[in-house]
Amino acid sequence: MSSRRAPRVHGLMTRGYADDLRLFGSGKAKLGLLALVLAYLMLPFFLTSDFWLSVLDYAGIAAIGALGLNLLTGYTGQVSLGHAFFIGLGAYAAAQLGGPDALNLPLPLWLLGAAVFGALVGALIGPFALRLRGNYLAIVTLGLIFLGEHLFRNLKDVTGGNSGTNVDTTATLGGLDFKDLALLGENFSFNQGYFWLIWGLVGLVALLVKNLVRTRPGRALQAVRDRDVAAEVVGVQLGRYKVGAFAVSSGLAALAGALLGSYQQFVSPDEFSLFLSIQYIAIIIVGGVGTVFGSIVGALVLGGLPGLIDKYSASIPGVSTGSGDSGFISVFSLNQAIFGLLIVLFLVFEPRGLAAVWLRVKAYFKAWPFSY
Amino acid sequence: MSEFLQLCFNGTALGARYALVALGFVIIYRATGVINFAQGGLLALGAYLAYALNDTAALPFALAVIGAVIASGLIGAATERVVLRRMVGQPVFAVVMVTIGMLFILEQTITSIWGFEALNLGDPWGVQIVRAGDVVLAQRDLWTVGIAGAVLAAFFAFFRFSKLGVAMRATAFDQEAALAQGISARRVFAVSWGISGALACLAGVTLAAGPAALSPGIGAVALIAFPAMIVGGLDSPVGAVLGGLIIGITQALTTGYQEDLFGWAGANFAAVMPYVVMVLILLVRPYGLFGTREVRRI
Amino acid sequence: MRSSRMWAAAAAAAMLGVAGCGGADSEEGGSGGSAAKEGEAPKTVPGFDGNKIRVGALSPLSGPVAVIGKPLTNGNQVFFDALNKQGGIAGKYKVKLVQEDTQYKPDVAVQRYNRLKNDVVAFTQILGTPSVLAVLPQLKRDKIVGAPASLDAFWVREPNLLPVGGPYQGQAINGLDYYVKNGGEGKRICSLSQDDAYGEAGKEGVDFAAEKLEFKLASAQKFKQADKDVTGQIQALAKAKCDAVFLTSLPSDSGTIWGTAAKLGFAPRWIAQSPAWIDELGASPLKEYLAKTVWIVAEGTEWGDDSVAGMKQMVADVEQFDPKQDPDYYFSFGYVQGKAMAAVLEKAVELGDLSHEGVLKASEELGEVAFDGLFGDYTYGAADERKPPTQSTIFKVDTAKPYALGTLEKDYESDAVKEFEYKAR
Repeated sequence: MSSRRAPRVHGLMTRGYADDLRLFGSGKAKLGLLALVLAYLMLPFFLTSDFWLSVLDYAGIAAIGALGLNLLTGYTGQVSLGHAFFIGLGAYAAAQLGGPDALNLPLPLWLLGAAVFGALVGALIGPFALRLRGNYLAIVTLGLIFLGEHLFRNLKDVTGGNSGTNVDTTATLGGLDFKDLALLGENFSFNQGYFWLIWGLVGLVALLVKNLVRTRPGRALQAVRDRDVAAEVVGVQLGRYKVGAFAVSSGLAALAGALLGSYQQFVSPDEFSLFLSIQYIAIIIVGGVGTVFGSIVGALVLGGLPGLIDKYSASIPGVSTGSGDSGFISVFSLNQAIFGLLIVLFLVFEPRGLAAVWLRVKAYFKAWPFSY
Repeated sequence: MSEFLQLCFNGTALGARYALVALGFVIIYRATGVINFAQGGLLALGAYLAYALNDTAALPFALAVIGAVIASGLIGAATERVVLRRMVGQPVFAVVMVTIGMLFILEQTITSIWGFEALNLGDPWGVQIVRAGDVVLAQRDLWTVGIAGAVLAAFFAFFRFSKLGVAMRATAFDQEAALAQGISARRVFAVSWGISGALACLAGVTLAAGPAALSPGIGAVALIAFPAMIVGGLDSPVGAVLGGLIIGITQALTTGYQEDLFGWAGANFAAVMPYVVMVLILLVRPYGLFGTREVRRI
Repeated sequence: MRSSRMWAAAAAAAMLGVAGCGGADSEEGGSGGSAAKEGEAPKTVPGFDGNKIRVGALSPLSGPVAVIGKPLTNGNQVFFDALNKQGGIAGKYKVKLVQEDTQYKPDVAVQRYNRLKNDVVAFTQILGTPSVLAVLPQLKRDKIVGAPASLDAFWVREPNLLPVGGPYQGQAINGLDYYVKNGGEGKRICSLSQDDAYGEAGKEGVDFAAEKLEFKLASAQKFKQADKDVTGQIQALAKAKCDAVFLTSLPSDSGTIWGTAAKLGFAPRWIAQSPAWIDELGASPLKEYLAKTVWIVAEGTEWGDDSVAGMKQMVADVEQFDPKQDPDYYFSFGYVQGKAMAAVLEKAVELGDLSHEGVLKASEELGEVAFDGLFGDYTYGAADERKPPTQSTIFKVDTAKPYALGTLEKDYESDAVKEFEYKAR
């Protein structure tokens, strides 16, 4: 009997650090994952509301950007308010790389190209920005937003200036046109096709980030977050890892931007404001700082919330809806106020976000019915 | 020459407002190590409170402003007591985001009560002007510079000579040592936020003076006061005032001469000029002009 | 998946108790309605259940831009209320306006568009240039007609858009032409525009006028929307000794701009684009300054002018259906949009097809639509043959009038504006 071959044990048992670092965890986790993959594949067959599909599409795009931000802010501990700038870079890069009047590259190439472009710009800015720490860094990255907006408005040949630019990219992969998908004799709408494209990429990026953080570079990043000087002392090359995290984070932001442009088929400088950056930070706060799962859940919650608020706003007293109504607070104000309130409440009462809530629920049921 | 003087005066008036906001940032930062992104919201709220006291409660303008300043100070202190005190010991990122969340709540409170339409603050300065040679001085700008100057002088005197001011400086210097001397850090925190709220209100009033100039958007000025604060150094009150003036005057000169000197940079370059100045200064001095170099321990 | 949507449509139809309408039919109608014949009653299609036509409005009904979105949507609503009172489209089909709040954000607009698109025959209002541009690719994909609520010039050549009124460029050209021909010859002319697409449209008109009228712009300044400090820009204009300044701004900024100018003792002839004005400005402490210095270039006539048929009708409709509505430029705009959409729907009913494609086809076959003096008449048709109105009315600030604007010159049409070509984006 081979001693290396471990006998089957209970799914919760771990016999070393390697087990803790497993990508797919226990049997139950594998089942859960399988269910998610099935949901991903089947959802467009059942969900035909173009409204909710478009909400999900936007949420998926946000999830990719949030994964990038979480890598920088959650795992490496560097505050960045400049995420929207890189989202914008990606969108304009997609217009240039994938547009019919420009390079007209196929889907994988313009997506990858936009991401690489974002990462390169991030790597160029990173060394300077990351000399600064904490509060200084937050405000310098805030400057990035304003300088970026100025560039987007004034580099008319590339960005179309204030009137924005069409992002008329192709979305074909191996004979599948996500814009007008025909599969198994069925025709699928634009929103359904993009759901598969976007959420497929969410899965891919999540896998990439998860792998990154559970290996050596990931541990180095977390060491930088927890105590940068100590990390340096034990041999983590601070500059290299910080800039690396900044570059990967910017690259993922640009990827999200490219998808945003391609989905919306149009972008203008008005979209890449400070508010967008704050939205991304809110996503990772609500979802869970420093977790892959949290970035995605946060994007879903904050993406779906306005739709839900709008749907039920008529039954909330004091909220004005429609053009003729008057009430204490309008839907817009309610949205913004709830958004602010979520940030404050989560940071004060549950700084680790929904991911921590989920862990607690899981832990409760693990020992159920003998939970304390 | 008169044009240059005119631009400098405009820049000084603008810079005085930035200085008031930036000083508010610095006071809070020195005491608690927090950058308060909600300052813009406090500023707008202060201006609206002055409007409400003047317009709705029919107080004379000066009294309305004083009332609003006191109310804003209390609101500032209350914010610290209710929200920020829970955040002691949390990472920078979390605290910054809490203040951003508060900014959203403040903004929506304002628009829910007073709406989005521009209002008249009811100040006595209106559009009256004083001429000095070729230079046109708006009364409202003269008052702004005057008020800012007086407040800053009073503040520095308070910091230097009053017991509480000395306690605040001691706490900023070494919190534990100050505690050992019997200084209540809590009180210092609350007072810092109170002073900062009062300064924000004054900045708001000077910004909202003039015809139809009071609107929820005035809080955005805080975004330009950030570079002012960074240029001066995060923890230096003198730096904040100087930084405000530098940014204000640079901005005014940029708008004035841009067409002739550097039209290639794109129209409205003055809007991003503060950030360019900030980046340039940080390249040379990573802690601003007067900021204290951080000493880090393992 | 279209077939499931078909089931949903069929189920909805069944729930509504619509007789004589099979699920399959409604699906057919959605994709072309090949069987449509002129003169026949149109088939039921998404947004049309056989007696009621649903049209959508994507408008900021809350948030900072709601001050524009609300009156505009009211204008749509009052027009359709009045139309329904008379029987509706073709005398028998009532029109129902379905509103969605976009909060002036392009991404929200796209989501709300997706919510409505299978529930309406067309969009009678999409407000905000960024929102229109974000929705436009989808309008094209879905072959739906939408009416943009702004006067950008590139709308003219888009087949899926149904603009009304003369574009901003035309306003600028007419306004400056009027100034130059009425004592402004040889004067120093400048421009001040906000730094976005709207500002650029105005600036394009100013540049065109400069070329045709052979004057050189003494200074061209820009400002950031909602930036509360424009001292620098005003200073630069004063330094350039401008006699006249063409202003492209929104009301929230107009107040700040004119307030700063008055404060600095700068009083040129202000010639401003129609959206720059709001009647509250006429009641502000600035009113004397404004009465002396400001002209507004718009279309049509004064609010409440009984001598103009369209205005008389609109004021009567307001009294009947929404007496709380104050005089408002944006309201008129919405009302005119309703009129244009009604003309398209009439045509579509005449052609017997209210499907998305049918409405698109109807908009292409539409000839000239008269707005009875409210706005200039518009010649529709294939996108590259459309002719927007070219005349503008120059108003001066007059606080005695209902909207604080009195006519200076009605329906002014310069030679230069006729030469301006509208290009596709």
